[in-house]
Formats: sequence, structure tokens, C-alpha cells
Amino acid sequence: MTRAAAYLALVVFAVIAALAAFSLFTVDPTEQALVLRFGQPVRDLIGSPGLYARVPFIDTVVYIDKRILALDNERQEVLVADNQRLEVDAFVRYRIEDPLLFYQSVLNVQGANSQLGGMLNSALRRTLSEASISDIVRNRRDQLMAEIRDAVRGGAKRFGLDVIDVRIKRADLPEENSEAVFHRMQAERQQRAASYRAMGAQQSA
Amino acid sequence: MSWNNNNGGPWKSSGQGPWGQGSGGTPPGDLEEVIRRLQRGLKNLTPGGGGGLPTGRGLVAIALILALVWLAFGTFYTVQPNEVGLNLVLGRYTGKTAPGLNLNWPWPIGSVIHVPVADQQITEVGYRGDARTDVFAESQMLTGDQNIVNVHFRVSWQIDPAHPEDYVFNVLNPRDTVKAVAESIMREVVGRKTIDGILTSDRKSIEPDVQTRMQKVLDDYKVGVLVLQVQLQSVDAPAQVISAYRDVTAAQQDLQRAVNDADTYANRVVPEAEGQAARIVAEAKAYHEQTILEAKGQTSRYDQIYEQYKKAPGVTRERMYLETMERVLGSMPKTILDTAGGASPPVPYIAIDPLQGKSAGAPK
Repeated sequence: MTRAAAYLALVVFAVIAALAAFSLFTVDPTEQALVLRFGQPVRDLIGSPGLYARVPFIDTVVYIDKRILALDNERQEVLVADNQRLEVDAFVRYRIEDPLLFYQSVLNVQGANSQLGGMLNSALRRTLSEASISDIVRNRRDQLMAEIRDAVRGGAKRFGLDVIDVRIKRADLPEENSEAVFHRMQAERQQRAASYRAMGAQQSA
Repeated sequence: MSWNNNNGGPWKSSGQGPWGQGSGGTPPGDLEEVIRRLQRGLKNLTPGGGGGLPTGRGLVAIALILALVWLAFGTFYTVQPNEVGLNLVLGRYTGKTAPGLNLNWPWPIGSVIHVPVADQQITEVGYRGDARTDVFAESQMLTGDQNIVNVHFRVSWQIDPAHPEDYVFNVLNPRDTVKAVAESIMREVVGRKTIDGILTSDRKSIEPDVQTRMQKVLDDYKVGVLVLQVQLQSVDAPAQVISAYRDVTAAQQDLQRAVNDADTYANRVVPEAEGQAARIVAEAKAYHEQTILEAKGQTSRYDQIYEQYKKAPGVTRERMYLETMERVLGSMPKTILDTAGGASPPVPYIAIDPLQGKSAGAPK
């Protein structure tokens, strides 16, 4: 092998490697990908992982998460039936179902989260406004969560999102009301203690 | 868990095995040949030795060495006993590997994700660490009867060895998901019960209930997690009212003590009283018997007297009269006047009594 041939081979190899680096890309199992040419999708969504090709420098690849994503919203005060107030926080688990719609409408996960957060808040307020505290805490929790989920799911479709689940995490009384509950609990217990002592006096009489 | 964090996944960066085992890939004869070539190539590279640029042979040698190093270090990797390895080739998941020495394509073609499936993971809710530091927002929850209870619990879980790929590929932040689901479910379960139940008899049923519900939700999400155990660490009334709760317990004990004291007293007093009662009853019975016997005695005496009376009514009547008068007048002081003479005014006799002293019932 002559020196020139060897160098030629080296150069050819380098060029091939560079071309490969710019025109091939992999998609992981956690991702799906859109290939855009000047902002327009040029091929169908890449939904399954593997090695794919693009035109170097012209096509851009947008990776979009395929996993179940989470939105944990901030604790907030919600007015429920009888003008009672509850502090509620909830979480949404969702998946990006239509990446193109997702990319066009909210661009990224932050955008999706802020849209979802708004929808979740309004669904929470609307659904819980007619429910009493004991409905929310005890009697109809599942049902209410399902209602909220369906409301959010309907709205999220517009952003290419599939809402898998909405769950109320905490539903607690605001601090002032907690104090009142503590007072009541204390009073109840004191009453009970007194009644035990009275019973003792009575039974031992 | 670093593969969760950044986009694209860090397994693109490296997936290489240990260094020593990598050299086992080429037979020793080839290796010597390679080294010889390398030495020759190096000689050619140095300006003094070969003069100027490396030769064609030298270049080929260098390329070969680089390729070998790449294959040797990139192909082999070990999976620790607590792990499984997930092989990825060009982004595609190709299968999982057992603990030991394993093969995959070297970077950038292949990569390996190590998943610690055998490790028991702990998620703490309501507290952190051994110090039992209370996390107020997590631990306080409403019960079904709208009381507030303070719950600390922990969830032991494991990445499902049958589906490690679910854990890695399906959910962003599976660990956070486990915790969020645990909190949600615990509150749901606690919300169904009353505070008295939670603090006492329902405690046992809460743990398995939360566990099965959590598993169901996590399975719905396909997180690839097995919930091994849910353990309540502490279940208490909130700090603000705990003294009142303790007072109730104290009152219950007071009740018990009062009852016990009363029982002790009763045990002492009742037998005594019973003894007394028995004695009184016996006495009464005796009196009863005695009275009857007396009455019978009197009756029979009367009957005897009557018998006598019937035989001689005049004498008996006289005797009875005298006996009665004896009984009535016998003990009294007497002054006897004789009115038979018809003389008036009456003649005063000497009073007998003072002469007789105190003795009553003197013979007439």
C-alpha cells in the first residue's frame, strides 16, 4: 500500500464519518422525533427507536419525550360547597400523543405544563365548587377525580396531549380552619376525658 | 438514576466495561504482532527515524490499534449482581442482560443502561431520615370525620425485575411518581376512616390497603415498580392536640382505677356486711322461734288455768283476784284505814311503811 493511497483512504473515511454524523441520528426508546425542513415536517413522526437519516444542515430533528410526564401543581385554595375553603394540590400524568400538534401549539414540555396547569386549576375549581368537604375527603373522591380528569383530558387534546390520570394529592383545610379543627378536637377529647372520669366516679360509687 | 434527567439520555455518552477484561478479546499472538507494528509505526512517526510523514503501513497500524482499543473497551461490560443491563443498539432496545460479563456494540453504536432491580428502594412520606423530622405538609391529613391526623409512613419498593425497561423508558421520574401516588393514595384511604379508627383498630388494614391501591395505579402507569411494603411509622393526633388525646387515655385509666379501687373496697366490705346480715337473720330467726314458743307456753298455761277454773270457778276467781292484787299492790307503799267501824273522822294509824324500810310487798 502506498503512502498516497493510505492518506486518500484516511480522507475518504473522515468525509464519510462526517457525513454520517450530520445525516444520521438515533431515536431512543424514551423519545419520538419530528424531522423539520424549514419548520415544515418532511416525514411522518418517528415513533419507534432506531437509526434514521436526514438531509444534513437542512433538516432539523426535534426530539419529543414519549414517556409519561408529570405536572404537579402548586397547592391552592379552592372554594367548595357551603363557602368552605380547602387547600388542594393535584397532579396530572400525561403523555404527548400528537407530537406535531404539541410542537406547533405549545412547543415544549414547559409550554404544555403551563397550559395543563391552567386547565387543571379551572377544572378543580369548577368540579369541587359543588362538592362538600366530606364528598371530597371521603365519599366521592374517586368520582370527583374522574370528573376532573375527563375535563382536563378534553381540553388537553387540543395540545396533542393524552391525560392518563389526574389525582388529588392533598386536600387539607387552610391553616386558620385547621386551628378551629384542633380546638374542636381538643374540646371533644376533653369532653371524652371528663365523661370517662365521671363514669369512673359513677361506677365506683 | 441519571438517565432520567437530561434529554436524549446520557447512555449515549458511555457504556464501556472494565479495562482489564477488554484485552481478552484478541488472541495474544495477534497482540504481539500489533505491538511490533506499533513500535515500527512510532519509529516512522518520529522525525529522526522515518523522516517526515508516517508511511502508509504506519497509518494502517495506527488505525488498526485505534479500532482494537475501541472494540476492546467498548464491547465488554459487567453487570453487578443487583442489576440487569439493558442493551441499546442505535437507540433501539435489544434486550436485557444478566449479572456477569456481557457484550454489546461499543459506543456510539451501542450503549448499556444499568438498572438496580434487586435493590430495595425506600420512599419516606411525612418525615425524613431517622431523626423523624416531621414534614408538615406531607404528614397532616384530613380524616373522614374531618379531624386532622399526622401520619408518617414509608414505602419499600423495587424495580420490577420482569419489566426493568418499563421503569427506564416509560415514565419520567419514576421515583417521584411513586411518591406522588403514595401520598395521594394514603390520603384517600385515611379520608375514608375516622380518627378513632385510624388511631386504633384500622391501623392494620391501612397498610395493605394502600399497598394494593398503589400497585394498581402504578401498574396503570406502567412504571415497572413492585410495591413491596407500606409501613406506617407513626400515626398520631397533631402536636397541637396531642395532650388532649393523652388526657383521654389518662381519663380511661382513671376510670379503670376508680373501678378497681371500688372493687377492692367492695371486696373488703361486702363479706363483712354479708356476715353481719347472716348474723342478724339468724338472730331474727331465733327471736321468731322464741316468741312462738313463748306464746305457745302462755297459751298452754292459760289452758291449764282455764281447766282449773272450770273445776272451781269461785275459788279460782278469788285466787286470781288476789294474785293480781298482789302483783299490783305488792310493790307499792300502803296505808291501810279501817272504815268498818263507821267512825269519822278516820283514826290515823301508824304508817307501816316507814317502819318496814324500803322493802315492798310486805305480807298482809
